[in-house]
Amino acid sequence: MAAVRTSSEVAFNRIAIAAVLIATLIFLAPIYWIASTAFKPKELAVSVPPTVLFEPEVTPFVRLFTKRVQMQKAVDPQVYDAAPWWEKRIYDGGERVLKVGKDVQLSQYPDRFMNSLIVAVISTVLAVGMGTFTAYGFSRFKVKGEADLLFFILSTRMLPPVVVAIPMFLMYRMVGLNDSHIGLIILYVAFNLSFSVWLMKGFMDEIPKEYEEAALVDGYTRMQAFFKIVLPEAATGIAATAVFCFITAWNEYAFALIMTNRRAQTAPPFIPSQIGSGLPDWTTIAAGTFLFLLPVAIFTFLLRNHLLRGVTFGAIRK
Amino acid sequence: MASVALTNLDPASRAAARGWSDLTIRNLFIIPTLVFLIVFNIFPLIYSLGYSFTNFAANRGDAWQFVGLQNYRELLSDDHIWSNFIITAKYVIVSVAGQMIVGFGLALLLNRSFPMKGLITTLLLLPMMMSAAVVGLFWQLLYSPSWGPINYVFGLGDFAWLSNPDSALYAVAITDIWMWSPFVMLLSLAGLSAVPQHLYEAAAIDRAGWWYTFTRITLPLVSPILLIALIFRTMEAFKTFDIAYTMTTQPTAELIAIRLYKQAFQQWDTGKSCALAYIVLIMVLAITNLYVKYLNKVKER
Amino acid sequence: MRKIVTSVIAGIGLALACGTSVRAQDKELTIFWAEWDPANYLQELVNEYTAETGVKVTVQTTPWPDFQTKAFTEFNAHGDAYDLVVGDSQWLGAGSTQGHYVDLTDFFNKHKLNDVMAPATIKYYAEYPGGSGKYWAIPLEGDAIGWSYRKDWFEDPKEKEAFKAKYGYDLDIPKTYAQLRDIAEFFYRPDQKKYGVAIYTDNSYDAMAMGVESAIFSYGGDLGDYATYKVDGVINSKEAAAGLDMYKELYKFTPPGWGKTFFVEDNQAITGGLAAMSMNFFAFFPPLVNKATNPYADVTGFFANPAGPDGKRFAALGGQGISVISYSKNKDEAMKFLEWFIKDETQKKWADLGGYTCSQAVLKSEAFQNATPYNKAFYDTMFMVKDFWATPEYAEVLDQLNQNIYPFVVGGKGTAQEALDKTAADWKATFTKYNRYK
Repeated sequence: MAAVRTSSEVAFNRIAIAAVLIATLIFLAPIYWIASTAFKPKELAVSVPPTVLFEPEVTPFVRLFTKRVQMQKAVDPQVYDAAPWWEKRIYDGGERVLKVGKDVQLSQYPDRFMNSLIVAVISTVLAVGMGTFTAYGFSRFKVKGEADLLFFILSTRMLPPVVVAIPMFLMYRMVGLNDSHIGLIILYVAFNLSFSVWLMKGFMDEIPKEYEEAALVDGYTRMQAFFKIVLPEAATGIAATAVFCFITAWNEYAFALIMTNRRAQTAPPFIPSQIGSGLPDWTTIAAGTFLFLLPVAIFTFLLRNHLLRGVTFGAIRK
Repeated sequence: MASVALTNLDPASRAAARGWSDLTIRNLFIIPTLVFLIVFNIFPLIYSLGYSFTNFAANRGDAWQFVGLQNYRELLSDDHIWSNFIITAKYVIVSVAGQMIVGFGLALLLNRSFPMKGLITTLLLLPMMMSAAVVGLFWQLLYSPSWGPINYVFGLGDFAWLSNPDSALYAVAITDIWMWSPFVMLLSLAGLSAVPQHLYEAAAIDRAGWWYTFTRITLPLVSPILLIALIFRTMEAFKTFDIAYTMTTQPTAELIAIRLYKQAFQQWDTGKSCALAYIVLIMVLAITNLYVKYLNKVKER
Repeated sequence: MRKIVTSVIAGIGLALACGTSVRAQDKELTIFWAEWDPANYLQELVNEYTAETGVKVTVQTTPWPDFQTKAFTEFNAHGDAYDLVVGDSQWLGAGSTQGHYVDLTDFFNKHKLNDVMAPATIKYYAEYPGGSGKYWAIPLEGDAIGWSYRKDWFEDPKEKEAFKAKYGYDLDIPKTYAQLRDIAEFFYRPDQKKYGVAIYTDNSYDAMAMGVESAIFSYGGDLGDYATYKVDGVINSKEAAAGLDMYKELYKFTPPGWGKTFFVEDNQAITGGLAAMSMNFFAFFPPLVNKATNPYADVTGFFANPAGPDGKRFAALGGQGISVISYSKNKDEAMKFLEWFIKDETQKKWADLGGYTCSQAVLKSEAFQNATPYNKAFYDTMFMVKDFWATPEYAEVLDQLNQNIYPFVVGGKGTAQEALDKTAADWKATFTKYNRYK
């Protein structure tokens, strides 16, 4: 920090880094627990003492993707021997795979995952897109009652989802948007838009007006200047906003629980249903959680530099 | 209201001559968002405000009646509802305070250069990327006195975090702190990295103590962003539904959002639920308004 | 700009396409039920219907705590996502009077189902209001509260001796709640990580209510007069309070952290070697008899709910009937499916797969009663079942019961009498609100 580093400062630095590492371990322990449970044999998931080291297996993922049913008796050895390896693993767990004729019946997990992808991606694009335009509008042009309008926009984020859910439920019932992707997308955009406008506004304010002015002098129209000059400058802020919006939409639970059923239900309300039908099956649910964490973790990791810088610019220099 | 606000425009703008006028662009950029928010946030609110004065029930075909303020009167004189609000207040205070302390503490520690800083920071963000419902489910397992790792690691024996009516709410708050401290950390990091280095250098030359530097330089400069984090986390904590809903069914941990959900979608007491929703909304608005006023004051300094 | 707009529109189009593609195929039925083994057995059963007729039938499930909410949000949205629902017995009132269920009275009479299905199942799963001769569902899955226990603990000579010395009678399957309590106390040894009993305490839906009402019924209490809605002096009678007190007493001997438990936890109490006895619905017992899922499968036994002090013996009814949802677009197809479902050979097949048929003929057969170690206990129980309120406002009534008894049972606040007095007052207010006392 300071120009001259004293020995006590160096020592303090080391202690701080050690503390960071310890904190990271504590924070990651539950996630390690979930991720490792996704590769555990069923019985080790709830063992006493808790199992930390074990031979990993992919059976939980096989279970995650198949429809299964609890067997009341041990499996016929001949049937067992004739089964492929993955089916044997299911038999080992006291279950059998459901089939229609010879086809293995898949679980709903892939469908739910796809629904999550569709809804989260489209709603994020819309929320960030609209947020960027609006933030630019507020940032560059005089708007009467700007502060009030911005507070109004923020206030829409304050509503507990359940508050909005009642009238939305009634409205959707009238127009037939219950249990549809588009209905859920609208809700998530409405939900994320305020955050998006606020974050992007701070960021837009940071981009010097002179850049566009120069472009306008060069013969650009205002729209061209916006797309060719402002947007690239705003990329970092857009990325940071997108990460937040995506995380929110990807994991949203209450609306998905209330508003969607067979067709549009996303994964968050579905994953807990994998807890098992007679005994707790923590491994399958952990497998579902683990796979579901991957897209958002990868997305965040790819945009991590933007995220840190984006938040710095967007929020602080307001 | 938007069209009134948009009538006067900077006439000096040079772009007015070419392409779309600035007025058009401004309207094009701002109005759709406002219209969208009005249609999907304000309109439903007006709709439910109307219902809050009736005994309408969405599950029955019966004709409903206007009942005036009866729903509000009943709610405000209902001990259950008051205890829900007190529980929610406790929860918000504990969980948001915890997140601010842990999150800001982490940011202070992280605010130096060391190898793999970017990776570690990203890893620390993992909890907030998870689905709260699933987090709640797994923390139930982690807290289990019979096979959960928490009691085993800390040697807590049979301490029943979630079954004990006195500790259930705090167990949920701990989970929420785990999940959302990273958010506060991220914003704080942003704030810390924006503090000009020369201020620290000047303080070092003056041989100012660590505490002096922290309270006189760091804290005042990051406080606006800490307040932003505080606003967002308070709002979110007030609305908490999924974590608490999946973790425990203790009446001592029944947050207002859960009560609202039960009233609206299990009992279908739609009119009364709308009234309760309004009471909640007014409270959140009041709290946020206070914050925002304070935030503006802090910024002006 | 154009690119962005195009891609957004394309995206929305894609979403819409995905949303509507399911509708494109006709000849498809969706049955909604909760996530448990019987739903998987049902999926296996209906796969045969698909093989026979080409009509694809899917059993869609949701976790138990959300089951009621999900079903009723869909009903109240007048949604057509589901064609049939295997709904809880308590739903009949709301399902029939609010127009969610198709009236099956003609279907019932045409097929003389009164003679085919067991009487208790018709009374509780199909008919509403009671005694009206109007039917809204076909009994599909019979179920009731029963108990599993650790035979090896019970039969250990040393334990038997110690038990006799302490309580003055032989350690055996409990015949009364008082004995059940003694045995629970006897095996409650936290230092050895052994506990007496596992019971339901989850109050997010009806789990704890089912456990509590089993005790209340056996102690001679009742929830109320279902015909006149009289509750004061019934739900808060001395007998009912004694039953609730007993349930609270049993909670003392549960494993630690037993504050939000339902079938999964109660089964785990047995498979994890934690508890001597565990309450559960019969339909949840299959994993307990399979060595692969229960290491103690060989030494796990089953018994029916014990009697109260006066020898009265009842158990809470679980189980469901299948109803046609009136908003479905495939009602004719759904009726055809029901025709198939009530055939004798289908019912037999259903029982073979692990479903609890309500067909009298199958239930009475030797083959059924010996099929599993618990089928006999199930058969006995089905003659002593009682059920919760089935009025349209049952969800409110259930929530009020939960609100009042949970703090007493789990939190140890107040007395049983106070909890039930409060319940009686709340219920009376609710029934008054719905004009039940005309």
